[in-house]
Amino acid sequence: MRISRRAARRAATATAMAAASALVLTACGSSGGSGGSDSASGKVEGTVKFQTWNLKTNFKKYFEGLIDDFEKKYPGTKVEWIDQPAENYADKISADAAAGTLPDVVNVSPDLAVPLAKAGLALDLDQAAAKYKGEYLDGAWKSHQIPGMEGTYAFPWYLNTGPMFYNKRLFKEAGLDTEKPPKTYDELFDAAKEIAEKSDGKIATLGNAPAIEDFGRYGVPLMDDKGTKFTFNDPKGVELLKNYKELYDAGALDSQALTNEAEATGRKFKQQSIAMNPGSALDLHKFKKEAPSLYKNIGITPAVTNTGKDNMYVQGVMVNSQSKVKPAAVAFAHFVTNAENQMDFAHEVTIFPSTKGSLDDPFFTKEDGTDETRVRVAAAKSLKTAVNYTPVMLNDQMKTVLRNEVAKAMQGKKSPKQALDDAVAECDRLLKAAG
Amino acid sequence: MTAMTTGSGNGQAVQAGPAAAPPAAAEAPESRRPGRIRTHLPSSPWLFLAPGLLIVGGFSLYPFVSTVLNSFTDARTLVDGQWVGGANYQELIHDEMFWIGLRNSALYVLGVVPLLVVLPLLLAMLVQRHLPGITFFRSAFYTPVVASVVVVGLIWVWLLDDRGLVNSVLGAIGVGTVPFLSDQWLLLLSAMLVTVWKGLGYYMIIYLAALTNVPRELHEACAVDGAGAVRRFFTVTVPAVRSTMVLVGALSSVAAFKVFSEVYLMAGDGGGPGGADTTLVMLVRQVGTGLSGRVGYASAISVVVFVVTLGLMLLVLRANRKEDR
Repeated sequence: MRISRRAARRAATATAMAAASALVLTACGSSGGSGGSDSASGKVEGTVKFQTWNLKTNFKKYFEGLIDDFEKKYPGTKVEWIDQPAENYADKISADAAAGTLPDVVNVSPDLAVPLAKAGLALDLDQAAAKYKGEYLDGAWKSHQIPGMEGTYAFPWYLNTGPMFYNKRLFKEAGLDTEKPPKTYDELFDAAKEIAEKSDGKIATLGNAPAIEDFGRYGVPLMDDKGTKFTFNDPKGVELLKNYKELYDAGALDSQALTNEAEATGRKFKQQSIAMNPGSALDLHKFKKEAPSLYKNIGITPAVTNTGKDNMYVQGVMVNSQSKVKPAAVAFAHFVTNAENQMDFAHEVTIFPSTKGSLDDPFFTKEDGTDETRVRVAAAKSLKTAVNYTPVMLNDQMKTVLRNEVAKAMQGKKSPKQALDDAVAECDRLLKAAG
Repeated sequence: MTAMTTGSGNGQAVQAGPAAAPPAAAEAPESRRPGRIRTHLPSSPWLFLAPGLLIVGGFSLYPFVSTVLNSFTDARTLVDGQWVGGANYQELIHDEMFWIGLRNSALYVLGVVPLLVVLPLLLAMLVQRHLPGITFFRSAFYTPVVASVVVVGLIWVWLLDDRGLVNSVLGAIGVGTVPFLSDQWLLLLSAMLVTVWKGLGYYMIIYLAALTNVPRELHEACAVDGAGAVRRFFTVTVPAVRSTMVLVGALSSVAAFKVFSEVYLMAGDGGGPGGADTTLVMLVRQVGTGLSGRVGYASAISVVVFVVTLGLMLLVLRANRKEDR
């Protein structure tokens, strides 16, 4: 098989052309989003397509039961359930939205609801489902409201917040009181420096650089009330970043803190090379099974905060404004998120209902002596005052900007003030461009 | 294409012409036979080509043209774009991340291509010999090519982690911890090494095919004249496989400039500390995907990637042509 020079040249050129042209983005059609009618009155019937976010693997039975119940309650309806993997969920929604194939009812987080609402693809529930508003916690209902826009664009679904796990053995070796873990950022910084010093920099206390939630819990104002400008370059934000840089320089942050993903940090916590890590009650099972020696030394404490308020993660259920079965879609979205079904879901997995009164149920207020209920009760208590610190306008691209600028400050390439000023300027520019 | 259509037409003209009377006469009864299906229609070649043309048109040409057009708009994922002229390209010039991406992609080409042109050739020469058990080594060298890049990337992340196997060994021999995954340059270098390690087997196979065409007599004649192994390598092997080296250079240049997976897996979604290891294709993903994706701007970056890749190819071919003279 002799390859002549001419043939080689031709092949190389063809390869270059093919490779380069294959690289380009596929054409992305835009739906434009006329908005459609916000009316959801009419008979509840037809086939509703329902999309969840990585829930089928563990909760197939729960959702199948939920769908059966709905179909029985509303004869003439049928629910087609689609589950998407956790990875690239936003990309999947954007592809469906652009192609005009967005399901009727979609599981979203507040930041995903923003572009969909702006494109006119999310139904305004203040108009279409105002009668249900009173069933949900005020804070949860507002979590899908968008600064600068009237309306609410998704039913609040389950809430979550995580405690902070800490390694008592590592605390003890550093001479710290294992029963008094840090509660505020100042206490955290002191403890972290102590652990780094006593371990000669071998044990880091935290595995990640500060994210937007940390700025929020530190008490930094993140955005103006109108949602038109970011404000995390406030002097308090600069102070937080300076403190984190000191930790990084002292070896109190993991050496890979600037690039670590949550999975890598979790792994290092299990390997006991990191002393503290945020998590959820689910993690306790993992520790017990995968890291028994860590489990023996595990301590559980509320997340560190200077505001007295924990961070809250919110999931929502959005109704597609272009749905052809809008009454059924609204009815189903409400059915999924009503108090009874959220409570049932909470018995399946450690999540917390967003409906009024649910968190007062003995299931969330009484401990039975196990770590699991202790975490659950503590989390439910903190959720009553918790805040979703992540501004809904902060999209993934802006989060990357903040992460990169924080990293530059930590590496000493920029001063903390300069880094945050640059991050705010770029995020504001992207916000403006997003319209 | 045109020639084929014309050819078919000419055939019919010849049959109808007076000079072709005998054959026409011979075929006349057959052509007039009722129910005969004409198999050589002018459109026949197009029908054969249609599936390929539709695939190329739908999946290559249309996206390409669409990308070029999008690059002149401010289109976003869910919003139709307005024509903004060259604004996206002007923005590129002032975008620090674009220059970082361009630098890293260019460094990737410079770091990876020479190694991928030379090392697989040496490897091919090694496994070309008929030694006992050589098939095992051929298979072993080719295995990384078959392995999923994601799996390979994750394995290397675990190996090169600050507390991974490689650093444990280095620590044990007193070298200390090497920040393979937290220093921007070492991270890029680590990703390059993974690319080279994974690509060796593929290019080795191409070289193996080329080496079988190098006449043994040339080597023997050289050896008789007293040339050693190194001399024979440069005077016989390299000239004989030079066209293959150009091909490998071209293929690996294109692949290296478009690198995504290895850097993405090792440096993370953000592209390393402070985004310092972001490549151009990673930037396209960061900017252009998701619900808030800036499709117009990402398209402009894609067009630049296309132009640079094309330029790179032309440069390789031109350099080769000069040497031919």
